[in-house]
Amino acid sequence: MRLSIALLAALLSTALVAGPAAAQGKPDLTVALSSFSTEVLDPVLGGHVVKYYMSLMFDYLVGVTPDGQLSKDTGLATRWEPSADHKRWTFHLRKGVKFHTGEETTSEDVKFSLQRAIGKRSTTGYAGPLRTLIADIETPAPDRVVIVTKEPTLIIPTYLSRSLSTEGMILPKKYLEATGDDAFAQKPVGSGPYKFVEQVTGSHIKLAAVDSHWRIGTPRFKTITFKLVPEETTRIALLRRGEVDITDVSRERVKELERESFPIHFRREEAILTTWWVLPRDGQPTKDKRVREALNLAVDRNEIAQSIFGGYADPAHVPLGLSWSYRDIGFKVTPDMQYAYDPARAKKLLAEAGFANGFPLTMHAYQLPGLPEGKAFSEAMAGYWQKIGVQPKLVPVDYPAFRKNWFDRATPGAFGYYNVANRDWIGAYAFLEKQAYTKSKASDTVNDPEIDGMIEQVMRQTDKEKIGALMRNVYTRLRSEHYGVPVVYLHSPYAASKSLGKWNPGTVMYDFFLDELASSKR
Amino acid sequence: MARFVLTRLVQSLAALAILSVVVFVLARATGDPLHLILPMSASEEDFANARKYLGLDRPYVEQYFSFVGRALTGDFGTSLRARRPVGELIAQRLPNSLRLAAFAMTVSLLIAFPLGVLAAVWKGTGVDRAAQIVAVLGQSLPTFWIAIVLIEVVAGRLQWLPAGGIGGLSSYVLPGFTLGWFVVAGMMRLLRSGMLEVLDSEYVKLARVKGVVEPRVVWVHALKNALIPVVTFAGIYFSILVTTAIVVETVFAWPGLGRLAYEAISSRDFPVIQAVVLTTAAIVAVVNLSVDCVYALIDPRIRYAR
Repeated sequence: MRLSIALLAALLSTALVAGPAAAQGKPDLTVALSSFSTEVLDPVLGGHVVKYYMSLMFDYLVGVTPDGQLSKDTGLATRWEPSADHKRWTFHLRKGVKFHTGEETTSEDVKFSLQRAIGKRSTTGYAGPLRTLIADIETPAPDRVVIVTKEPTLIIPTYLSRSLSTEGMILPKKYLEATGDDAFAQKPVGSGPYKFVEQVTGSHIKLAAVDSHWRIGTPRFKTITFKLVPEETTRIALLRRGEVDITDVSRERVKELERESFPIHFRREEAILTTWWVLPRDGQPTKDKRVREALNLAVDRNEIAQSIFGGYADPAHVPLGLSWSYRDIGFKVTPDMQYAYDPARAKKLLAEAGFANGFPLTMHAYQLPGLPEGKAFSEAMAGYWQKIGVQPKLVPVDYPAFRKNWFDRATPGAFGYYNVANRDWIGAYAFLEKQAYTKSKASDTVNDPEIDGMIEQVMRQTDKEKIGALMRNVYTRLRSEHYGVPVVYLHSPYAASKSLGKWNPGTVMYDFFLDELASSKR
Repeated sequence: MARFVLTRLVQSLAALAILSVVVFVLARATGDPLHLILPMSASEEDFANARKYLGLDRPYVEQYFSFVGRALTGDFGTSLRARRPVGELIAQRLPNSLRLAAFAMTVSLLIAFPLGVLAAVWKGTGVDRAAQIVAVLGQSLPTFWIAIVLIEVVAGRLQWLPAGGIGGLSSYVLPGFTLGWFVVAGMMRLLRSGMLEVLDSEYVKLARVKGVVEPRVVWVHALKNALIPVVTFAGIYFSILVTTAIVVETVFAWPGLGRLAYEAISSRDFPVIQAVVLTTAAIVAVVNLSVDCVYALIDPRIRYAR
């Protein structure tokens, strides 16, 4: 009897303690994320963040490598070329690629998808610039698409690639027309290596592998499930129990997880934490370049990187400077560009500008997705600026409220910040076009005619060398005029299960390249 | 009795109507959802398109009457964030909240009943003091703290139970306990004070004098009468558990109505905010109405007094 009880107790405790099977050789992959963004499974409605799971369901017109380089091997287009005037871009499509419905992808699907991406209903990140740029889409053959632009341009392939947002995802025209937009968003169909199985809003999205995919062969994982788990303690507990294989974690929990031997994969410089002052500058102390420089010199970037971001950040020195683009355009941050921490000189500059006694500065303090340290950071900045005589007034708000203030220009001179996702040169250009170009109006934070001129030329320029030079000049001027306070580049940690194996999360924004991890061709 | 029920029903409907106005106004006072939906590059034309597509370009009064008109037919519109019918989202989430609340309530009652009765019977002893400590902790410890400690220790370190998400019965234990502990405390105190009063009453003394054994005096004669307020409050507590589980559902990644409310508020999703508030208010109204009716049935003085 006693033996039976002991046996029962042992069985029960084993069942309770063991938890789910370890990930080693497991046919399923589970990813826990703190946010799913909109949870809309329609590429034209979701925004950037949905790429984490949508990139597995859809093929892009132009593929990229995990480090963000355009690739003829990983997208629907096997090659592409511009006309002599760079106003007609011809894409040659891969044959034999099938949607999950079994139908083959054709140029009609590409045309339909692009028209939908730039349609009025679309809320994607780059629908606006593409709408302005594209004049027509022609389908001379089932395996050929020609995109006609209003201006000569080099940027079309990148805009429609996996390196930016969702505009390049190819959808099945016939299926979508038959089911309608709403039904499609609830049961999306693409041609990616994973197909949609189910979505329980607020809980999870489950995908199942196709039998064989032209790009990755037979996927290693039969299913990939994305779980929405807002609370970090819960995500880490799920990781410890072996219920998830990959999860985003905060920088402050990294050391603890490393002590427990969980592999931490960093996306280095995944974002730049950059700040600016709401326009217009007229009548504001920040109109004076010396004030802008003083505010930069007053900030100890190394201390912020160490104390607020646990050492998982590096100082940044170019306002709006997206470092993943530097290699593409040949830009280098020289030692003289690096801001020293020099409060004495900052005070001197303020005095020279006529603000020896400082000035009041409204500082918005808010949290952002991927930046739980937001409020602490804002308070630290207020502390630095207080030391040089500025009188900061911290205003706790949520980001949408600040964004409305910023766009409406309701609080001129007020301080705002964002952790801008890092990206390659074209992504950086698209970002600068939003935030450093006067014609963008609402979202502009720079208002500099010289920079406006250079940004306009980039759009029309077809010589890559000249584009590189223009972009370098834009960055140089942003830095020399101190249009904002670049603070740090953030390294984002992702914890993995001990048996996940080698995984390269890549350097493309909002994309983990889980299909590469699942590839049987690795 | 019919008049009493009718009066209560009219009062409940009036409360819901007033609430519909309040939630409509407050939801819009929090800001413009398009700043969350549209990308930074959105032009004024994009804003105008989205506003028109989502029906936000119409005058507020028109929007309100359209919302009320459709809500009366069970159509709460489409979520601005998830782009799905709100009714579908609520139908997906409400059962999860109801199941969790039912589990939490059952566990609470199973703990609160013996604890409350024993604390009264052994008043002033160690058992009573222990019960008091449970009550104080249950009502004073923040729910989010209990939740995080349980996840960290029980799920993460000891790995005895799932940390979050909805699954088998074991997935209900930690969120159910976290949610139910507050109720344990309240119910236990209510039962203890009720039992103390009843145990001191004449008819209980008579039962003892007549030689009825003590366990029967306590668990049958006394408990039956002490239960009346407890049963009433159990109903109210249940509606509270269904409608206020925002923190527990968020921490435990539980896809319930509370989480839906949290997601909707943080993304300015007006149609969902309105629907969740009205649904939870309707649940509370129905429970209150039922409680009033049960009370009136039990105690006729209530009907005349009102």
